Formats: sequence, structure tokens, C-alpha cells
Amino acid sequence: MNDFATTTTADRPRGRYDAGVLKYREMGYWQPDYTPKDTDLICVFRITPQEGVDAIEAAAAVAGESSTATWTVVWTDRLTACDSYRAKAYQVDEVPNTGAGTATPQQYFAYVAYDLILFEAGSIANLTASIIGNVFSFKPLRACRLEDMRIPVAYVKTFPGPPTGIVVERERLNNYGRALLGATMKPKLGLSGRNYGRVVYEALKGGLDFTKDDENINSQAFMHWRDRFLYCTEAVNRAVASSGEVKGHYLNITAGTMEDMYERAEFAKQLGAPIVMIDLVIGYTAIQSISRWCRNNDMILHMHRAGHGTYTRQKNHGVSFRVIAKWLRLAGVDHLHAGTAVGKLEGDPMTVQGYYNVCRDAVTQQDLARGLFFEQDWADLAKVMPVASGGIHAGQMHQLLSLFGDDVILQFGGGTIGHPAGIQAGATANRVALEAMTKARNEGRDIDHEGPEILAAAARWCTPLKQALETWKDVSFNYTSTDTPDFVATATASA
Amino acid sequence: MSADQTILAARESSALTEGTIDLQALLRESDVQSVLDQLDRELIGLAPVKRRLREIAAFLLVSRARKQFGLEVSPPSLHMCFSGNPGTGKTTVATRMADILHRLGYVRKGHLVSVTRDDLVGQYIGHTAPKTKEILKRAMGGVLFIDEAYYLYRPENERDYGQEAIEILLQAMENHRDDFVVILAGYKDRMETFFRANAGMASRIAHHIEFPDYSEDELMQIAQLMLAQMNYRLDASGEQAMREYIERRVRRPNFANARSIRNALDRARLRQANRLFALPQAVDQVALSTLSAADLHASRVFQELDAVSHGETT
Amino acid sequence: MRLTQGAFSFLPDLTDEEIRLQVDYGLERGWAWAIEYTDDPHPRNTYWEMWGTPMFDLRDGAGVLHALNECRKACGRGYIRLCAFDSTRGVESIRMAFIVNRPDEEPGFGLDRQEGEGRNMRYRLHGYAADRSPEERYRADP
Repeated sequence: MNDFATTTTADRPRGRYDAGVLKYREMGYWQPDYTPKDTDLICVFRITPQEGVDAIEAAAAVAGESSTATWTVVWTDRLTACDSYRAKAYQVDEVPNTGAGTATPQQYFAYVAYDLILFEAGSIANLTASIIGNVFSFKPLRACRLEDMRIPVAYVKTFPGPPTGIVVERERLNNYGRALLGATMKPKLGLSGRNYGRVVYEALKGGLDFTKDDENINSQAFMHWRDRFLYCTEAVNRAVASSGEVKGHYLNITAGTMEDMYERAEFAKQLGAPIVMIDLVIGYTAIQSISRWCRNNDMILHMHRAGHGTYTRQKNHGVSFRVIAKWLRLAGVDHLHAGTAVGKLEGDPMTVQGYYNVCRDAVTQQDLARGLFFEQDWADLAKVMPVASGGIHAGQMHQLLSLFGDDVILQFGGGTIGHPAGIQAGATANRVALEAMTKARNEGRDIDHEGPEILAAAARWCTPLKQALETWKDVSFNYTSTDTPDFVATATASA
Repeated sequence: MSADQTILAARESSALTEGTIDLQALLRESDVQSVLDQLDRELIGLAPVKRRLREIAAFLLVSRARKQFGLEVSPPSLHMCFSGNPGTGKTTVATRMADILHRLGYVRKGHLVSVTRDDLVGQYIGHTAPKTKEILKRAMGGVLFIDEAYYLYRPENERDYGQEAIEILLQAMENHRDDFVVILAGYKDRMETFFRANAGMASRIAHHIEFPDYSEDELMQIAQLMLAQMNYRLDASGEQAMREYIERRVRRPNFANARSIRNALDRARLRQANRLFALPQAVDQVALSTLSAADLHASRVFQELDAVSHGETT
Repeated sequence: MRLTQGAFSFLPDLTDEEIRLQVDYGLERGWAWAIEYTDDPHPRNTYWEMWGTPMFDLRDGAGVLHALNECRKACGRGYIRLCAFDSTRGVESIRMAFIVNRPDEEPGFGLDRQEGEGRNMRYRLHGYAADRSPEERYRADP
């Protein structure tokens, strides 16, 4: 690669600011000697330059277009302390297993550092408008993906974070030492409020902690939102009385306007609901507004990542979900769907574990095999409870527990409601499987290997579990993931 | 079945073949030998103690073998008494004993909780039982080592709470045999008085081990071992001075065997540092790690004796 | 009814040996176990009575079992739970809790409703245990 070390231009101001077009790397956006400051925000982009575009120029262009640059030199830069506003690309690495001899065009990891002054305190909208505002449509790049972001502690502290957090949520639920169980109500669409509440009641009474509206249950012709809220509350309270446990239903308050959302949130609060739910598609500002409302009203906030697959899934272009997870922890959600690794939706196990780390760590360690490029200190921000949902069932309990541990919500929608002996039986099967597996793990059993045997033993006295294992025994979703790590832990990992 | 017990069960099956049991295999598998070897390395002398330890280890191994054939009616009683003067290695041996008991599967965790009267006995009514019980809970899974155990019993004071601690202890020693082992320690004569006055305690102590005082040669070896561990050595004059020091020290009051040696060496290191500091020239590695006669001779042990002899001559 | 609070309420009641293994799991992680008991396990009855303070610095579950059995002798007609406290920064809360003793007959809960405006509904959950006479509730165990 060419040596561009001498092409930074701060020392040649006259030529630098003459009218006309300069290469980005000649405008100060490429600084290979730069050492990021502790207060800098750092991004790593996966870039695929167009044919003939130099990788370093492409990296400098990303830095430029995501900070101060425009396509031509402007003299008005001279009115500002422009050196500090410029983002600095400081490192470009080839991505392993791309380029010549592979099916993938050559890709590069471009590391860019941003000064803290570029971002408004406590605003994900402002942060994202900078970092992913223009640059992903930039013509000289064939594709561009934001892989990871190191957020400086100084900026983390400007966000209040999750309104409740894992620790306080458990204290409110009076629930410790095991994963939480949930289920999404099915069918997603068409149930009347009365019928819908029946499903909620059965699932909670059978042993689940939570039931959930689906992402597109809002207020449609078949079920007005108030009706849904009232029937679900009746169902929740009946299930609480039958078990003595705290239970809840995520009431989806997503709506067309913020005014509607606040109205629905207020009604949920009036009914004594412990938790409300929103969809990612409402946007970052709406998320931060509702998070603030939840913080003020002691409400747990459940986030469904509806729509994320449009920009997180493809490896060459978009934004990695680990970055979305970081933004959402800052924006302040308590629950976040973060993948199952074993279910029906996209997710390589190591990559998914990386998302879980982002949600739950006090300090997330650099871990390339899990796709984590940076150490991230969360500055005591509350932790987000990850949700594993989509195509999972009781027979996978050992894998789920081994992958994700206890601080997770396991959501078995079909795996509860589709049980041959009914919804209560489905819920009981999941709860017994979870408790039996947790108990066995704590006793020192090797659940990765003994898992099926442990489940079979519990099924001998628990008929619902026996039926569940029989029904779904062969169900698995073994497709190749598209979003996989570029690095493996050891050279022998493929053996 | 706990993980520990599972491991032991697996071990047992490999030593057990067609109605016979290979005791040597059992010993190898338990890896008790390495603990005994470690004791040999780190403790000078104490031949009778080491012999008793081997006997007890053998007894426990045989008990386990008998258990596998269903010959053992009840688990062996394991509570012990270590008697001897201060500094004779009782605490060190207790730590290793806990390790041995753990490896043989007689305690689950193998830690040592070392206490004295103050940890067990309270100051006012209702204080002693919770204190003693808390210590017992901590010791479970391991060994409770009670140093100078006779202080628990103070017959001269009829309102003493020590008796309450003894009673709780006795009950736990009986009801929680599988959960922990008690080792009482202290001077031999006082332990004997204590046992005479507390027949219940005496009857529950299965093994008595006596810790003899070290000979002067052994004390010299201990000094050299301690110094080697701290990267110091004695030069020829220092070695001679150390021998003389030991010879005089053992005859003086409050002699505490290895502990006295450790204290003497600590003081000698201080004097060496001062001596080196007073030197005009730079010092090398050898000087930094060498103790000589001067560092020892400044000891009171020499001075007072000299003063006495001086007084005699005048 | 069967109260299903705690981590293992859907399983058959744990034996003492099984309880000890769970306690050991917590001890290995440096958590301190506490014993709590009540006759009124209303889900919002946060503060059950403490049987002594949390047990710090234990190495083996037998110590907790010993204390649990003393608690059972004194309060065996009620609910008893074990809670493990984790003092790690960022947690500083309970990490594990499970029921280790329950009454022979569990009284359960009643649900009262009060209709309000706009189809609104107020719910009140009350434990039948609290309906019993004070003589019945507070009589000493035999």
C-alpha cells in the first residue's frame, strides 16, 4: 500500500484551502500516525471500494463524509478549528478471506476516530445522523458496513440508559436464579381482544413469566388497543393469583404518533401493567422519549427489533446489530431481541453471543471471534435483558442455557401455543425444562452433553414435557448464517 | 452425589477388582503421597509426627477399602488433638491434614478454619451460641482448628460462657461427623488437664499427635531453610553465630521453637540492612543477601549473657 | 394451589442433598446465602422474616443446611426460601432464590375487582393466609 504519511496538510495551509477538489486523504482525513484519545468515538467500517479506488482514499472519504467534508474545498473551513472537527481515518486492514482467490471482492476494515465535540449529548439521532448519515450512499464505495463502535465513557455518561435494567427488573419481578420465560401470542393477527386474553391467561397460568404482543399488533380493525389492554390485564391478574408469582404482558404501545403512544402508555400504567413494548421502527428519538417516560413511571421497556434485518443481515453493507444494540443500550431499553443462534432467525452462535455481551457486560472486552472490535466500558449503565425469540422449543433448553446463561428471556411462541395438549401444557413443558436444566447445571452436570438425558429424565414425571419433546424432536434450523465472524479463536477451530 | 464423591466412586472402581482391592493403587489415586512428600520437604524433623500422619492416612485408606466391601459399620471418628510447645508446626501440619482428609474424601472442601477462644465465646448472655455456630458453619466441609483449646474451659469462673461453646461444639462433633473435623491444639500438660475435666471431649478425640521440641541441629536446618526461602544465606561467621544463638536461646524463657528462629532472623535482617547502609561503598548482590556474625551478635541473647558473665568475673 | 415463586417450584421438592448442591453452586461463586420465612407469600410481600443474617465466608453447603434445619424446626408450618446475595459491583442484589419449605396446605390468593369509569378495572390480590385469625397465624410451632 502507498505511503501517505506525508500527505496530511495542516502544515501547508495555503495549498490546502485553494479552491478546487482535493483527495480526501490530502484534506486531513487520513492520519496514519494518529492515536485515538480516550474521549474519541471510534468506528470500524467494512468498506468495499469501487474498482480502481484506493483503499486509503476510500477510508479517508468515509471519515470525511461522516464528519466535516464535502466534495470540494470550502474556505469557510478556515473560520473554524477544523482540525478537531475532521474525523481521522488512522488504520486500514484487509479483511481476511476476501479479495483475490475468493468469491468476495476485496474488503477493508477502516478505523475512524471522531472528536467528542461532533456529537450532541444524549442524542442517538444526532450520533447516527453523523456516522451513518451520508456515507453509506457514497458512490466511490461499492458497499459499506459499520461493524463496531467504541463509545467513549464521556459520551456514555450523557445517556440515562435503560430505565430499569436487569438487576432492578429481577427485584421487581421477585425472580432470581433462572432465565425468564415468555411467549409471543399467535396467531399474530385476527384474534379478538377476548380470544387474545385467553391465550395470555393460559400461557401465564401454565408457568411463563411474560407474554408478548407481536410487533405488528397495534390497533387494527379486529382488536382495538384498549380492548387488548383490558383483556390482557384481566388475564395477567388471574394468572398472578393462581401462582403467587409476578407476571406481565408486554403491551405494544407502538402507534402512528407520539401522542397516541403516550396515551397508550398512560392507560397501561393506569391498569397496573409492569411493562410496555415498542418496535424499533418508531425511530431513535421516539425510543428515547418513551424510555424517559418509562423511567418516570417505573415501567419496564421491551424493544422488538422490527425491521433491523433490512440493514444488519448482509455482511458487506449496512450496520452490524452489535452497533444497534449499543445504541439501544444508550437510548435506554430494558429488553432487546438479540437472537437465538439455534432458532429460525439469522444468527451465528459466536456473533449472537457478542450481542449478548454488549447488552449485559459492565465492560465489554475486545473479542474478535465474537465480532467485538473494541473494549467498551459501559460506565455503570444499567444492563439490557436480551431476548431469545423465534423458532425455539423445550428440546433445545440445554443449548440455550449453555449459550446465554440466566440473564435472558427465552420466548417460546409456537413452542408454547402449538403444544398438542394445549397452551398451559406448552408453558409447563418449557418451565419444567428450564428449571430441570438450571438445577442440573448448578449441580455440576455437563449440560452440553447430558442435556437430552436431563430433559428425558424430567419428561418421565412431566407429561407435558414428554409431549413437547416428542412433537418437536426433529425441528432445527441449520442454515448457514450470512453474518459470521471474520476471525476464529484459534487456528485449529476449523478442525 | 457431589462431584467430589463422584470422583472418589470412580477411583474406587479402578482399584477394586474381583473381590480384592489394591491398597497401593488406592493410595496412588488419592494422591495423598504428594501431600506427605510436601510435608517432608517443608518441615524439618518431626519424625514422630510424620510417622503418625502416615499411620492415620493408612488407617483412613483401609477404612475406605473396608467400606467398599461393606465391612465398615460406621465412619471412623476423625477428631484429633495436636499437643506440643509453640512453634512446633501444629498449624502447618493441620493445614496438610485438611488436605489429606479432602483427598481421601473425608471432608468435602478441605479448608482450615483456625480459631481461638475469642472467636467462639461471647461477652454476654446469648452471644456465645451464634458466635460458635457461625464458626461451625464456616468450618463445615473442612477442618476446625482450635488453638489453645483449654482456654475454652475456665472452671475458676462459674459464669464463664466457654462451657456453652464446648457443649455446642460437642453436639456438632457428634451430629456433623460427615461435615467437619475438629483439631484441638495446645501445650501437652494443659491439654491433658482440659481432657480430664471434659470427659465428653476426651471421648470424641480419636487421634492424639504429640509435637516434640526441635533439637538444636534441627533448628539450625530450619534457619537455613527459612533463609533460603527469602534468598538470604549465612556466611561462615554467621553460621557459627547462629549455632551459638540457638544454643543460648533454647535455654531462655518463652522459647517458641521455629517461631523464635523466624523472629531472630527477622531482626538479623534489619541489622544487616543498617550495617549495609552505613558502608561507604556500593554493595553487590552477595552483600545484599549475606548475614554475618555481626547481624546476630547484637542480639540481646548474647548481650545479657555477656553481662552476666561479666558480672561474675567482677 | 402450589406457590411457584423461586427458581425450582415446578420441580418436585428438593431433597436436603439437592439443596446442598445448589448452595454449593452459590458458595463457589462467592455469594452469601440467607434464610427467610413467612406465612404470607403475597408476591409483593418483599420482606420475609430473616432467620439470622446472611451467612458470609462459608465454604460448604452443610453449614447452610444446618441453619435451615433449625429454621424448619421453629417455622416449619410456613414458607422458607434460600436467597443468595452477590456483592459484585453492578449486581449487589439477589442472584438466586428458591423455596425449600412450604406448608402442607397452601392457602393461595383471592382476586377482587372493582369496576371504574371507561371499563377500567382495579385489581386487588390478597393472600388467604392473611385472612386467618391472629391466634391461628401467630401460634407457636409445636
